[in-house]
Amino acid sequence: MAEFNVNLRGVGAVSVIDVKGYLDAHTAPELENVFNRLLDQKQYQVVVNFDDLKYISSAGLGVFMAYVETMRENEGDIKFSNMKENVYNIFDLLGFPILYEFFKEENEAIKKFCDSSKF
Amino acid sequence: MIRTNLKFSSVKGLENAILLSIVLFLFNLIFPLHDVFLLALIHEGIVFLTIYFLYNYLHQSLTNKLDAPLSLVLNIGILGALLFFILSIANSAYEADINGKISFNFFNSLLSILLIFLFIASIVYIFTSFRELFFLRQKKDPSMYFNTMLVFFSLSFFSNILLLIDPTMDYPHSAFYVVAIVLICLNSIRVAWIAFLTKKQKYYLLGLSIVLSVVFGLAFSLLIDSEIVRQMIYTFSPGLHTVFSLVMIYGTIYFGVISFITLFHLPTAEAFDRKAQEVASMMDITKLVTQVFDFKELADTITSMTTQACNSDSAWLVTNSKNGIELNSVHKIGYVDANDVSNRLLGSGDASFEQIEVVDYDSLYRDKKFAEHHFHSVAVAPLKMHGKTNGYLFTARTKGNSFDIEDRKSLQAFAYYAAVALENAMLIKESIEKERLEKELDVARDIQRKILPSAVPSTPQLAISALFVPAFEVGGDYYDFFELDDDNLGFVVADVSGKGITAAFIMAEVKGIFESLSKIVQQPSELLIKVNEVLRGNLERKNFVTAVYGIINKKSGKMNLSRAGHTPTIICREGNVERLQPAGIGLGLDFTNSFSNSLKEMEIQLKNNDIIVCYSDGITEAKNSQGEDFGYDKFEKIISDNCSKSLDEISTLVMRELSLFSKDHPQHDDITLVLFKWKQKQ
Repeated sequence: MAEFNVNLRGVGAVSVIDVKGYLDAHTAPELENVFNRLLDQKQYQVVVNFDDLKYISSAGLGVFMAYVETMRENEGDIKFSNMKENVYNIFDLLGFPILYEFFKEENEAIKKFCDSSKF
Repeated sequence: MIRTNLKFSSVKGLENAILLSIVLFLFNLIFPLHDVFLLALIHEGIVFLTIYFLYNYLHQSLTNKLDAPLSLVLNIGILGALLFFILSIANSAYEADINGKISFNFFNSLLSILLIFLFIASIVYIFTSFRELFFLRQKKDPSMYFNTMLVFFSLSFFSNILLLIDPTMDYPHSAFYVVAIVLICLNSIRVAWIAFLTKKQKYYLLGLSIVLSVVFGLAFSLLIDSEIVRQMIYTFSPGLHTVFSLVMIYGTIYFGVISFITLFHLPTAEAFDRKAQEVASMMDITKLVTQVFDFKELADTITSMTTQACNSDSAWLVTNSKNGIELNSVHKIGYVDANDVSNRLLGSGDASFEQIEVVDYDSLYRDKKFAEHHFHSVAVAPLKMHGKTNGYLFTARTKGNSFDIEDRKSLQAFAYYAAVALENAMLIKESIEKERLEKELDVARDIQRKILPSAVPSTPQLAISALFVPAFEVGGDYYDFFELDDDNLGFVVADVSGKGITAAFIMAEVKGIFESLSKIVQQPSELLIKVNEVLRGNLERKNFVTAVYGIINKKSGKMNLSRAGHTPTIICREGNVERLQPAGIGLGLDFTNSFSNSLKEMEIQLKNNDIIVCYSDGITEAKNSQGEDFGYDKFEKIISDNCSKSLDEISTLVMRELSLFSKDHPQHDDITLVLFKWKQKQ
């Protein structure tokens, strides 16, 4: 069974989720749990750091789709950062870049949140 | 004469015994006195055989009474008392006769013969019962000792005859008699069955055995001392008198020994009872664990048995769950109290007991005193399986001593069974779940098989080949062709996100949408936008569908193509491959204008021998043992290298390469490969 790890940390008001390994139909519930926890804590500004993610399946992509609307309704968002090329290609093929913001570095994504909340 | 007709089989014991009794009766009527040696010998023989056959018969009928030794003892007691009663009546009745002499009139001899028969039956029954008690609960075979005793009984029986020959020859008889008594003493010690009686039964036996010992002793003394009784029996058969007295001695000694041993067993009777109960409840629970798979039911049995085995007042069982501990069963304690005590003992789930422990209840409630359910001590045992603690079994006493080592041992044993039961219950739940999932997958496969087209609409201008390889979990791939009119052929290749039955149902939905919309909308991009609109509200937020939809005009070779997040379509023209990737987001990802705004459409004029390849990501994302993707490059190379071959050959080659690449890795997604080849009309 492919391994998957998810870690949640807070950077200021922004929550950063580190995903690691293989995100597929079997491991997606772990990520869902993290998002549910964030909703419980009313944390709507989320950056997902894909630095250590090796593979993502359609069920893995579904997790972000399931939560992004709620985040956006509460003046938050899910932003992606540090994506490897092969993972980005999957997102790209599906047209995610039209709907989501992708950043090279985690800091940029956090900064974007901070900037937008100033206005 | 008569003896030759006898069947010496123990099966016919009763018949033989009755037959011999009749012979004996007739013999005594014909020869009321048998002073002659030969007559005496024959008579003794008949008496002995009667006893022997009766013994054999009773021995067999008594063997199934062995489970209730006390009823056997009671029977002995009744018969012993009866004998004593008759003996004393006879004694006083004959004593009333002034002559003190027995007159041999017909009536008297008939009465005495009947009495003799009663005696024979009684002593044989008593003796056989002794034999059964002797063998009861013996681990080794002690039959040698008993048989030796039987031999000496017989020798004493027959040695009386010698007195008829020579009245001074009484020493062999005395010797055999004494040896028989010694053997009786030795055999009387075998009373292991007493230990297995319950405490109550032991008290009962103690009283009964003292009385019986006295009764048998008195009967014996009557037999020896009372001249009249002696005369009555002895005149009939000296051997019978000997055996009668020996059985009475046996009874006296045996019950004397029993009363002593029972007395010594009394102090340990309670402990023995408890052990026996423990063993019994362990057996019950073992049976339950293997037969009952409902954990709640088992937990109830375990808690109630724990209180019995540990001699405690309450018991309850908790299991570890996601949210701390969960109370499964309580026995003689309220849920609230049990929860309270467990929480205090286990804390918030951090504290754990690796082994059985006894806790002083007061130390738990130092802060406040509970008037109700004030326990004295609480014992807790972990439910361990494969080194992991799955829960705890508690038991508590309101008063009395703290739990001793024996209590802890039985608590541990019950905790072990509870752990096994818990494990069983979980395994069964898992296997049911697994079975359910497999059934679901079967349903999903069925749906998929029915949805996919059974044939491809090839024409001379447009060769079509479609290949579909389902994954074990059912990936949700879908392809279809729509004959729009005489000239135009629509086609779709789609992939539903997720797996299993959800994917299969969405796939069915998507098929319906495409099928109906393709008849109305003649523009691929417009059609995909419409499909996305229909999907809005019909799709869970986390689900989406990628699709590529195209229309090929079979007259002109013009192809219009739109893509909604699907893998790029590959076109192979004269050995060169190119990816056709018009912009477009996956269906169901977005329901705003972004979808329609971003969706583009391509128009391509097909040339002779052009190959169009539509496929699902099951091909490009197939993995090898290193976790690497099959990728586009390998895929495109196979197509370009073999573009002159037939479409079926190309798909076979792709599949061959794919299975070689991922031979150590199971196929985890459906594979769909739809190929078109355009033949220009010459």
